[in-house]
Amino acid sequence: MTAWTPARKRWLTIAAVVVLLIVAFGAWFVWYKLFREVPEEPWQADAENGHSAADVRFMYGSIGAERDAGIPYWILYVLPRVFPDKLPGPGGLASFGLPWEEGKELPVGFTTKVIGIRRVAQNCAACHTETYRTGPKARRVFVPAGGDHTFDLEAFFRFLVDCAKDPRFNSSRLISEIELSRPPDFTWVDKLLYRFVLIPIVRQRLLAREAKFAWIYRHDPPRDWPDWGRGRDDAMNLTKYFLTTSPLDDTLGPTDMPALWNLRKYRAQQGTRMNLAGDSWDANSVIIDSALGLLSAAPPSNEKFLDEVHWLNKYLDDHPAPAFPFPIDQAKAGAGKAVFDANCAACHASARTGTVVPVAEVGTDRERLRSWNKDAAVRANDAVKAFGIDRKGLVEADPTGYIATFLDGIWLRAPYLHNGSVPTLRDLLAPASQRPRVFYRGYDVYDPLDAGFVALEQQASRLGVSWEEVTRTGSKFDVSLRSCGNQGHEFGVNLPEADKSALLEYLKTIVKPLPSW
Amino acid sequence: MDLWRRRFWILLAIVVGVPLVIAILLAMRFLPDRPVTYANIEEHFKYGSTGGERNAGFPYWIWKALPVIFKDRLPSTGGQDYETFGMVYEVDAHGRRNDLPVGVMKRRNLGIDRVFVNCAVCHATTVREAPGKPPRVIVGMPAARLDLGRFEHFLFDVALDERFRAAVFVAEIERQAGRLNPLDRYVVYPAAVEIMRGQLLMLRHRFSPMHLEQWGPGRVDTWNSAKAGLNFDMNRVPAGELLGPSDFPSIWNQRQRKHRDDGRQMQLHWTGNNDEVGERNLSAAFGTGATPSTVDHAAIGRIEDWLLDAKPPAYPLPIDKTLAARGAAVYKQYCANCHGASGQDFSGEYVGHVTDVDLVGTDRTNLDSYTYELAVSQDTNYAGTPYRFTHFRKTNGYANMPLDGIWLRGPYLHNGSVPTLRDLLEPSGCKGSAAVTRPLTFYRGYDVIDPVKVGFISTVAEENGRRFSLYDTRLPGSHNCGHEGKGYGTELPPADKDAIVEYMKTF
Repeated sequence: MTAWTPARKRWLTIAAVVVLLIVAFGAWFVWYKLFREVPEEPWQADAENGHSAADVRFMYGSIGAERDAGIPYWILYVLPRVFPDKLPGPGGLASFGLPWEEGKELPVGFTTKVIGIRRVAQNCAACHTETYRTGPKARRVFVPAGGDHTFDLEAFFRFLVDCAKDPRFNSSRLISEIELSRPPDFTWVDKLLYRFVLIPIVRQRLLAREAKFAWIYRHDPPRDWPDWGRGRDDAMNLTKYFLTTSPLDDTLGPTDMPALWNLRKYRAQQGTRMNLAGDSWDANSVIIDSALGLLSAAPPSNEKFLDEVHWLNKYLDDHPAPAFPFPIDQAKAGAGKAVFDANCAACHASARTGTVVPVAEVGTDRERLRSWNKDAAVRANDAVKAFGIDRKGLVEADPTGYIATFLDGIWLRAPYLHNGSVPTLRDLLAPASQRPRVFYRGYDVYDPLDAGFVALEQQASRLGVSWEEVTRTGSKFDVSLRSCGNQGHEFGVNLPEADKSALLEYLKTIVKPLPSW
Repeated sequence: MDLWRRRFWILLAIVVGVPLVIAILLAMRFLPDRPVTYANIEEHFKYGSTGGERNAGFPYWIWKALPVIFKDRLPSTGGQDYETFGMVYEVDAHGRRNDLPVGVMKRRNLGIDRVFVNCAVCHATTVREAPGKPPRVIVGMPAARLDLGRFEHFLFDVALDERFRAAVFVAEIERQAGRLNPLDRYVVYPAAVEIMRGQLLMLRHRFSPMHLEQWGPGRVDTWNSAKAGLNFDMNRVPAGELLGPSDFPSIWNQRQRKHRDDGRQMQLHWTGNNDEVGERNLSAAFGTGATPSTVDHAAIGRIEDWLLDAKPPAYPLPIDKTLAARGAAVYKQYCANCHGASGQDFSGEYVGHVTDVDLVGTDRTNLDSYTYELAVSQDTNYAGTPYRFTHFRKTNGYANMPLDGIWLRGPYLHNGSVPTLRDLLEPSGCKGSAAVTRPLTFYRGYDVIDPVKVGFISTVAEENGRRFSLYDTRLPGSHNCGHEGKGYGTELPPADKDAIVEYMKTF
């Protein structure tokens, strides 16, 4: 043993200090480049598009998904440029039908936040902002809290995984594309970080999603296995396979993205339930579960997370549905009110509204019900409880039917029925045998005559819309495929034409929830 | 001990010193980044750098070698090397042709001189007052002679040619430049040839579904080029969008374009899809290879500042004052609301606003080639910088342009489908027959002005071995319909039409 001479001690001290400094610097560097959170700027109202500051926050504000579900900004930026062949069409990210306001850096529902590096994630608005045009030449109107009928979420999910699976998804290729657009602050340190850390990690994480997406990636799908198509998602299966790790069960239940306005209309204590089949107790629970899906992990801070949920709930509680943007024949609508009261109000403006109607009674497609069950609800509730989040949660029972929907803003909620299988309100008033069997979803020119979006050739030609464009941008919907049936809800289908027409006119006027509590 | 000490120092010198010296030499060779600059602003515009060479620049000697090696692939329009694409060379006081054409810039970058096209290649060309008169280069006017599509086509073509390899280039470069040093001969040029071929093949892949050869002189398919630049999958662009060529515009008097009657900026581009001059400029600069990572904001800023107040030259031939005065009155009644009170005063209720395509009735392919998906995708350009694009909007018509220097801006309409102003005042013949109509076919690319009809002489197919391009208005994207009817002056008596045209010479 050598003695601890003072010289040795001094050297040892210096060495220890140096090592400590290096470790400290390393820790600081890792924190600075990967974990440092920069708060978002305050939200400003947007006069050009007619949005309040709260609307803008809803549309672009972070809900905290960047940390775990976020993709580094420059990776997402170059994906459409490196993999154009994997997009639904020529047009970058916009080709997914994302609502995207001209002049904005990212589509609606895409949030960006610096957590070490700038990352992009999604919030509720990607699927809950509706776009429509009053004619082929009109400007797009963006309606926050509306149900998005244009965004092909499934295609977007697949795109990310498919890119990660492609040999082009490698650091050299992505970085050379990033460098073409490189902003001055993409330093060599960032470049190294992207090359050796971020790109490989993102690739791994995207690849890991594939197994969970097995039901949309089936190699041998049954012949009647449809894509979700624009404006729909298989919400309960997403919950089953992502929030809980339920085994694949061969069910499929894609449904329309719902509108989220006027959430105050739901009163759990009076028997209303949420989600299309009444699977959830209240708005708070639905927002929590959906937001957890976007975070794809436990929130970093439950307190912050619940604050955001609270804000969203408050915003959506009283957010109004938009008024019908075309002239309404008030006299006819008045006559239509009488037809409505006699034929529709029992379910759609009564104590029954917002409650579950047995599927045998309404007769609509049952596949969505099969995609959810009591066990799944119990597991999902346990999973959320395990995060330390307390909420009323999912209804722990097998679903038995569909909610009799509130009709506020029904004019903008096309296509109709829970699975979006009927393109217009006029078609919904026809017997199932006469409803369109094949049509296109996701085109955003509105047809005020039939009340719905242009989905059929006769609408296109009547409105001077290019049918080629409708079929190119929309996704084909075939009611003969699984979960896509357009049967049921054959109520009022035998009314005289004049009554139907009046009723249709009245439906256009409904922007407030009925009944008024 | 002394011996070992000496050996140590020698070893150190070898291990550290020699690589250091080599590194310094290499750094001196490869690191400098120096544009060729000009004090005179017009020279700067014609030959000055936008920074695009850093990204897209051809090694100077490859630029020189290309038209020699691939002479057989040049268009047979009768000129020499790049003249065959309608590029123009200035001639110095001794009658010697300039080394580079107007619109080609040069920068020392990555150890070699690199050249690429700049703004002037599309916004300057020659004009003659009469066939016998000397050509005069006018900056800021549309490059009516430049066949950009064929230039691009040529480059994409040669990249596939078996002669596009280092040995062939080195041999031709040594023939022109003398013997290269070993570094250039065995490393720099072979690498440059490989890199350039890779880039050209990449661009070829992106641009190939477009119809480059159908643009013809004076036109470019701006928006499909922008889509290809963003790497949209051009194979899936619908056929109706894939050919939307429009004329190069003039670029004088930008300051006046920042104001219109309602206090906003004028809607720029033929379709009026952007109303911010600076952003429009950066967008156009993509064509010179200036990307966010290579753009030289200072150099472009000089050009921008100058363009704010740059003026077109005055009409060089005599103007019939009486006739012009009579024309002024008719112009005021028929044209001024949309096109400005005069060539200097751009006031007018609709100037810089978009007129719906169904009202103006002109060829809609350029409009259709610009899509909403493109507009929002352009918003991602310059992300992460203060220059990010925010002003692109999909429109449904064409913008009403001010007419400064209109005598230099023929042929007319956005797609250059009407050879002269006087022809524009006749009906197109698209909607039923008329006694006199706009020409069905004519020649583009001749630089002698038409003193009667205003525009360029469009009936000459060939002059001194130089062949011009036949424009066929029956082809897609080239229709000459629209901008006609009572409100557009096509039903005026011929004398009034003559008078308007005479007045517009004063613009």
